Amino acid sequence: MSPKPLLRLEAIDKSFPGVHALDHVDFDLYEGEVHVLLGENGAGKSTLMKILSGSLPRDSGRIILRDTPVEIANSYQAHLLGIGMVYQELSLIPNLNVAENIFLGRLPKRRSFLVDWSEINKKAQQILKKLNVNIDPMLPVNHLSMAERQLVEIAKVLSLEVKILLLDEPTSALSERERQRLFKLIRELGERGISIIYISHHLSEIPLVGHRVTVLRDGKKIATLPVSKADEDTIIRMMIGRDLKEQFFKEETNPGKVILKVEDLEIKGKLHQVNFTLHEGEIVGIFGLLGAGCTLLVRALFGLEKMDSGKIYVNNRIVTISSPADAIRLGLGYLAKDRREGLIPPMPLLSNITLASLRKISERSLIKHQKEQQVGKKYLKELNIQPPDLARMVRYLSGGNQQKTALSKWLCSGSKVLIFDEPTRGIDVRAKSEIFQIFNQLTKAGVGILMISSELLEILAMADRIFVMRRGALTVAYQKGEATKEQLLKSAS
Amino acid sequence: MKERRKKLSTIKSNSPSKIYLTGSSVIHFFNNWSPTGGKIFKKILISGGPIIALLFLCIYLSFASPYFFTVGNFMNITRQSSINAILAIGQTMVIISAGIDLSVGAVLALSASISAVAMSYWGLNFGFSIFLGLIVGTLIGCINGIIITKGRIPDFVATLGMMTTARGISLILTGGLPVPSHFTATALKGYLPLGLIWLGSGDIFSIPVPALIVVAVTILGWIILNHTTLGRAIYAVGGNSEAAKTSGINVEGTKIIAYSIMGLLAAVAGIVLTGRLNSANALMAEGAELQSIAAVVIGGTNLFGGQGGVIGTLIGAIIMGVLGNGLNLLNVSAFWQRVIMGLIIIVVVVFDQWRRRRFVF
Repeated sequence: MSPKPLLRLEAIDKSFPGVHALDHVDFDLYEGEVHVLLGENGAGKSTLMKILSGSLPRDSGRIILRDTPVEIANSYQAHLLGIGMVYQELSLIPNLNVAENIFLGRLPKRRSFLVDWSEINKKAQQILKKLNVNIDPMLPVNHLSMAERQLVEIAKVLSLEVKILLLDEPTSALSERERQRLFKLIRELGERGISIIYISHHLSEIPLVGHRVTVLRDGKKIATLPVSKADEDTIIRMMIGRDLKEQFFKEETNPGKVILKVEDLEIKGKLHQVNFTLHEGEIVGIFGLLGAGCTLLVRALFGLEKMDSGKIYVNNRIVTISSPADAIRLGLGYLAKDRREGLIPPMPLLSNITLASLRKISERSLIKHQKEQQVGKKYLKELNIQPPDLARMVRYLSGGNQQKTALSKWLCSGSKVLIFDEPTRGIDVRAKSEIFQIFNQLTKAGVGILMISSELLEILAMADRIFVMRRGALTVAYQKGEATKEQLLKSAS
Repeated sequence: MKERRKKLSTIKSNSPSKIYLTGSSVIHFFNNWSPTGGKIFKKILISGGPIIALLFLCIYLSFASPYFFTVGNFMNITRQSSINAILAIGQTMVIISAGIDLSVGAVLALSASISAVAMSYWGLNFGFSIFLGLIVGTLIGCINGIIITKGRIPDFVATLGMMTTARGISLILTGGLPVPSHFTATALKGYLPLGLIWLGSGDIFSIPVPALIVVAVTILGWIILNHTTLGRAIYAVGGNSEAAKTSGINVEGTKIIAYSIMGLLAAVAGIVLTGRLNSANALMAEGAELQSIAAVVIGGTNLFGGQGGVIGTLIGAIIMGVLGNGLNLLNVSAFWQRVIMGLIIIVVVVFDQWRRRRFVF
C-alpha cells in the first residue's frame, strides 16, 4: 500500500430530523486496501456509504480523493470519480438479462440510437471473464441464484471502472461456499489495486478479508484498527460501548415431552423421508447449504407447501396442516427468512403484534381496542421493542426491532412450537443477543424451537440437537457438543 | 397519550357513551395514518389533506357565488354526490384490500334494473323487489371476488369483464328501455312505487334521504374497517397478503367479502338512483366506477392498498360534489368542468403524496 491514503473523509456530518446520523466522522482508505466498516444498526455505516456513493448529500465535512477535494452530488458523479456501490438488496432488474443489467443506462449504440446487441453481449462476456465468473450473459437475472446475482451486481459496478468499491452486507444471502468465492474475488481485486470498503455484521469474516477495521457507534467514529489488533471482544466492546458478557449464552434446560413429530415427510423431488422430533423446551437446529431443503421443510410444516406424503403429530395426535391457519391453531409459529413475509409494513406496530391472535382481542368479530392496547404494551415491554410506540408503522422500525415484532406476534398467539428461519439475518449484535436471551426464556417456559441457521457458531451454541440437511434429506443428527464446525460443513456438502 | 385522548373526547362529544366511539377511535384512525404522536394540529396536517382542500374550496366558492353558502344548495350537493359516495365507500374497502372494482356502475344498473323489472313487469311486491336487487348486487360482487381469488387473474381484468357482462345482462333484462317506460307504465302496471321514489328524492325533516343513507353507509363502513376483525383482515391483506396468509388470515375469503360488500353497496346506490330518476335503465351510472375511484383517491387512500379509510373517501366524494356544484353556480361550461375536475384530482393527489413524504418520515 502506498504511504498516502487514496481517499480521505474529514469531519463528515449529517443529520436527519431527530437523528444526528454522522457526527464529524473521519475515515481514510488506501489503494488496494480492504477496509471493514462495523457498527450496530443505526450507527451510521449506511449513511456514510450513501454519502460517498452520491445517494445522500452531506451537511458538512470534506471528501478528499487523491489530494483533491471533491463534491459528490449524485451517483453518476460518484461513478465518474471511480466510486461504485453494491447494495445489500441489490439493484438488478429481474426480467432483464445479465448483459442488459450490466449495461443498464449505458447500452452501447450504433448510429447513436439503435442498440448494439452483439456488442453488449461480447462486452458482458469479457467483463464476466475478467472476474472469473462463469455465467451466461443472456440468462435473465431472475433465473440466477442469489449468489450469482450478487456476482453480476459486482460485475456491473466494476465495469464502470471503479477504483473504490463499496460493499454493503455482501454475504448475508450467501452460502458458505459462495462466501469463500466472494472473498477470493475481493482479494484478487485488492491485488489489482481496487480499494474496497466492506460493511458487515459478520464479525468472523473480518480477519478473512480485511486489512483494517473502523468501528462506528451512534454516528461517531470510535476507532480504526489494523485487523491483527481487532479481536471479536474488542470490537464488540467498541460497537456496543460495554462488554457483552457472552454473545450466545445458552441456558441449561430439561426438554420435556415430544410436542412435534414428523414422520416420513415427502415432497416429490425435493424432500425425502424426513423424520424428526421436537421436545418441549428444546432447541433443534437445522443446518444445510442453499437448496438443501431446510426452508421447504419448515414451510411444509406450517401449511405453506403441500406434502405428498408423511405424517405430522402435534402433542402425539396426528394432524393435517393444510394452511397457516391450521398450523397456528395447533400452536405453531413461523418467522420466515425474509422478514417481509411476516410483517405488514403500512400497519402500526400494535396491529402487527395482534395479527395472528385476532380472536383473542375481539368479541364476536368486534375488536376490543383497550384489550388490544394492553396486550400490545405487554409485548412491547417484554421484548424491549424500540421505539416503544404502538402506533408507529412497522416499516419505520430497524431490522432487529422488526424481528422482535414478528416474534411477539407468535408469543401473542401462544405458540408452543416456534420455527425460525435465519433468526438473526441482518440484525446487529445487541439485537442478536436479545433474541437469544428470549430463546432462553421461551425454552424455560416449555416452548419448542426449530431453528434454521447458516451461522455455524450460532447453531453450535444454541441448539440442543442439530440436524444436517443435504439435498432434501436429513443426513446426520448431532447432540449438543458433539459436532464441530468442520463436521457440520462436511455433512452438509 | 392519555391526555390527548381525554382532550379529544371532550371536544367531540358530551355524552359518556360516545367517548369510546369518538375519542379513542378517532385517535386510532389518526394513528393509522401517522407513525408519531404529536399535537392535534400536526395530526390534521398529516392526515387532513383532503379536509384542507375541501375547506379552501368552500371558502373560495362562498365568496365567488352568493348562492353557494345556502342550506338549499348544500342539500343539493348532498343529493347529487350521494350515489358517488355510496359507491366510493364500497370501493374504499376493495382498494384497501389491494383490489379494484371496475364493474361498479354496471352492477348498479343490473341490480336496479332487476328491482324495477320485478316491481313493474313481474308484479312482485315492493319490499321483495328491493331485496332481490340487493341480493343480485351482492352475488355479482361475490362472483367478482371468486373469479379474482380462485381464477387468479388481476382484479382489473376480472371486473372489466364483469362490467361489460353485467351491462349486457341489464340490456337483455330491460329490452333496452327505461323501466318503467312511458308505454309500459300506462299500458301495464303503473309507475314505480312512491316508496322507491322517496328513497331517491325524499326528505326527512328536510334532510335528503340519500344523505342519510350515505351517513349510515359511512358509519357501517367505518365500523367494519376500524372495529371488526374483518376490517383488520382487509388492511392486512392489502398491506402484504403474503404476511397476512402466514399469520393465519383467510386471504381469499377476505377479498371475496370485500367485493361482496361492494356489490351490495352498488345495489343500494342503484335503489337511490332509481328513486331519483323515477326509472331504471341498463345504461345508468355509466362512468360511475371511475368517479368512485376518484373519490377514494382524492380522499387519500393509497391505491396500492393497506392504508386509508372511509372518512377520507366521504370527504373526497363531497369535494367532487362541491366542485361540480360550484362550477355550475359560476356558470362554467360543462366541458370546462370536466377539465377542471380532472386537474383537481391530479392536484389533490400530488399534494397528498407530497405532504405524506414531507411530514411522515
